[in-house]
Amino acid sequence: MRSKTLKTIFQLLLMLTIVLLTVQCAGTPTPAPPTQPPAATQPPQAATQPPTAATAPPATQAPAATAEKPYAGVELTLASMTDQYVTAFRYLIPIFEEQTGVKITMDELGYVDLYQKLTADFVGHTANYDLMTVDIVWSGEYAKNKYTLPLDDFMERDKAELGLDDILPVAWTLGEWEGKHWAYPLAGYANVLNYRKDVLAEHNIQPPKTTKELLDVAKALTDATNNFYGIALLGAKGPAVAQDFMAWAQQHGSTMLDENGKIKVNTPENVAVLEFMGELIKYAPPGTTDYWWDQRETAFRSGSVAMMEGWSIARAGYEDPKISNVVGKVDITVAPVAEGMEPRYGFGGWGIGINADSDPKKQEAAWLFIKWLSTPEIQKEWIRHDGAPIRRSTLEDPELVAEYPWFPILLESFIKGDGDYRPRIPEYSILQDALGSYVNAYLVGEMGAQAALDAAQKQIEENIR
Amino acid sequence: MKTPMIARPRLSLGGELSYLGMLAPLLIFVAAIAVYPLLFSFGISLFKYRLTDPNQTKTFIGLANYLRAFSDPVVITSLKATILFVVGTVTTEIVLGLGLAMLLVAETRLMQIIRSFLLIPMALPSLVVGLVWKSLYNADFGIIPYYLKLLGISAGHGPLGEISTAMPAVILVDVWQWTPLLMVIFLAGLKSLPIEPYEAARVDGASRWQSFVFITLPLLKPTFLIALLLRTMQSFKVFDIIYATTAGGPGTATSVLNYHIYTVGMVFFDMGYAASLANILLAVVAVLSILYVMVLERQQA
Repeated sequence: MRSKTLKTIFQLLLMLTIVLLTVQCAGTPTPAPPTQPPAATQPPQAATQPPTAATAPPATQAPAATAEKPYAGVELTLASMTDQYVTAFRYLIPIFEEQTGVKITMDELGYVDLYQKLTADFVGHTANYDLMTVDIVWSGEYAKNKYTLPLDDFMERDKAELGLDDILPVAWTLGEWEGKHWAYPLAGYANVLNYRKDVLAEHNIQPPKTTKELLDVAKALTDATNNFYGIALLGAKGPAVAQDFMAWAQQHGSTMLDENGKIKVNTPENVAVLEFMGELIKYAPPGTTDYWWDQRETAFRSGSVAMMEGWSIARAGYEDPKISNVVGKVDITVAPVAEGMEPRYGFGGWGIGINADSDPKKQEAAWLFIKWLSTPEIQKEWIRHDGAPIRRSTLEDPELVAEYPWFPILLESFIKGDGDYRPRIPEYSILQDALGSYVNAYLVGEMGAQAALDAAQKQIEENIR
Repeated sequence: MKTPMIARPRLSLGGELSYLGMLAPLLIFVAAIAVYPLLFSFGISLFKYRLTDPNQTKTFIGLANYLRAFSDPVVITSLKATILFVVGTVTTEIVLGLGLAMLLVAETRLMQIIRSFLLIPMALPSLVVGLVWKSLYNADFGIIPYYLKLLGISAGHGPLGEISTAMPAVILVDVWQWTPLLMVIFLAGLKSLPIEPYEAARVDGASRWQSFVFITLPLLKPTFLIALLLRTMQSFKVFDIIYATTAGGPGTATSVLNYHIYTVGMVFFDMGYAASLANILLAVVAVLSILYVMVLERQQA
């Protein structure tokens, strides 16, 4: 009897396999929605990529290096985060290839994937990626482990053509660590407050300047019966909620480190910040505790919230009718800070680094690309294709200011920017993971504020040992 | 169980060798992809071995990683979550799978079509399933909270956002995806049942319910064993659905053991500790499987 059962099971499983194969071949109809912040805003890669393939010479007949193109034929790989600026890479890389004969293949990766793939590449010394976008918060870890090449020798050699003074001081936090540069500034973001000017005007409310005003405005504008809420936050467990918490802490002048630079999250100041978040989330859409960057953006773009703090790079997207319901109704201002606090604004973004394990010739070619990318002329194209600024001259360029009227706000945020509110220490990922779990636990009501931060501190200490 | 008598060739030494020779590719393959990694993971679980340590030191610390696991509060909460998930998914799937199999056992054209339709969820990658359900559950844009609201039920932060409903919500996703597998297994079991006991029962005047309880269920025991084993092991190792929907949240409500291992291994790159946690998970699953087999085999006898 049993052998008969088994036989039938095998037959059915075989049939099942065939069915599965047929279904798979027919093409699974559901494409994976993006799990990462702004990927949804980008056109499919295939549509913009062909020029790369078309202009690139086949590897076998790579042009020989000449005097004008000393690195012709060198092939580089770039690992890029799928942030808005990836569109600018797609546009600019073929131009760079045309001019120099260097070939760059770009891999576009989501935040978590990028971090993991790069770490694996560095730890194994496999040098699969020659160039990589480096999140500001990875600076300390990359420096400590010497994953990327310190760029100081290159910078010293080429300082005449780099225009280093023009790069905003805060932008150097994108990769600088203990006096050396482990990544070059690529895209600077300011934490700004986006708000619906039509809604605020209708209620005769001024944009909030302090966090207390922000709370009052959020409360006043929330109309839950009509599904309209005061503010959208990042509430999802993981990096999202952790980074939002650190942003609010920055705006209240508190920090994740003690005076000796050791992680200390369960301070009375931080508990107060967490309670502020708990208050604020009452005026956020009910799904907020599930929001990653992309859902928060969706909430704001769909017009169901009045305010949202976020990275300035998303600003241009609100004027794009293809992805936004709020075209012409949005304005930005500097992020509110606690009453009486000397204004400092959250700064973040990405640097671009060179793999320390790469071949020296590739490293030279990679540096050539970085240098080219940061020239003021290319920076203008970079901005126009959804990149983000690092130079003062870009932010003050009259042509660009006419196109992007919010640039003065950005400049102000950059000048008073604080790139260290998310500590760029080697242990950052441990800090972020603990906050990611326990801030979320507080927001969903699983734990009290003090208990949550105590638990986070405990987890951090256990993992740092 | 009688095997037909087939003259078995006598094995000479040469014969044995040629047997081995033919098996060798498989044995090497299994050794390379299963046995070696297993031993390797046991090996590194005895070391303090953090990949992101710049000096790449590997310090031998004996069983300290295992001791640490038993005092790690996250391990305890995640074990609880895992057991909740396993019990929730396996029981629901077995009941529903058996029910569906009974419903659809008839060999008519319609039933065949319905059956193949029901198999589609299994064909989808779990990650896709998770992401689709995540958007269905979304408190602000999702369909499910929308209809709940129409029915006058408050969805709060959405099914995945509330501590009380997050676990049932992910269990539902798993049930949706994997019940068809159990349906297939039970269908196979039902089709292989002998017809005679039923005829005898009918003659004796047994009701349909009685023949189900006293004939079908006992005869299906081997099928139950397979179903239980398969799904328990899979459920214990669940990762993709959790990763795609809740990332272990809200708070720690759906933080299953495998997700914790992922965090330790792939976020902290603490390979020694992650390996020891993975081995503990392996041991738990192995012990449970052996228990199942023993219990059901004994009843069989």
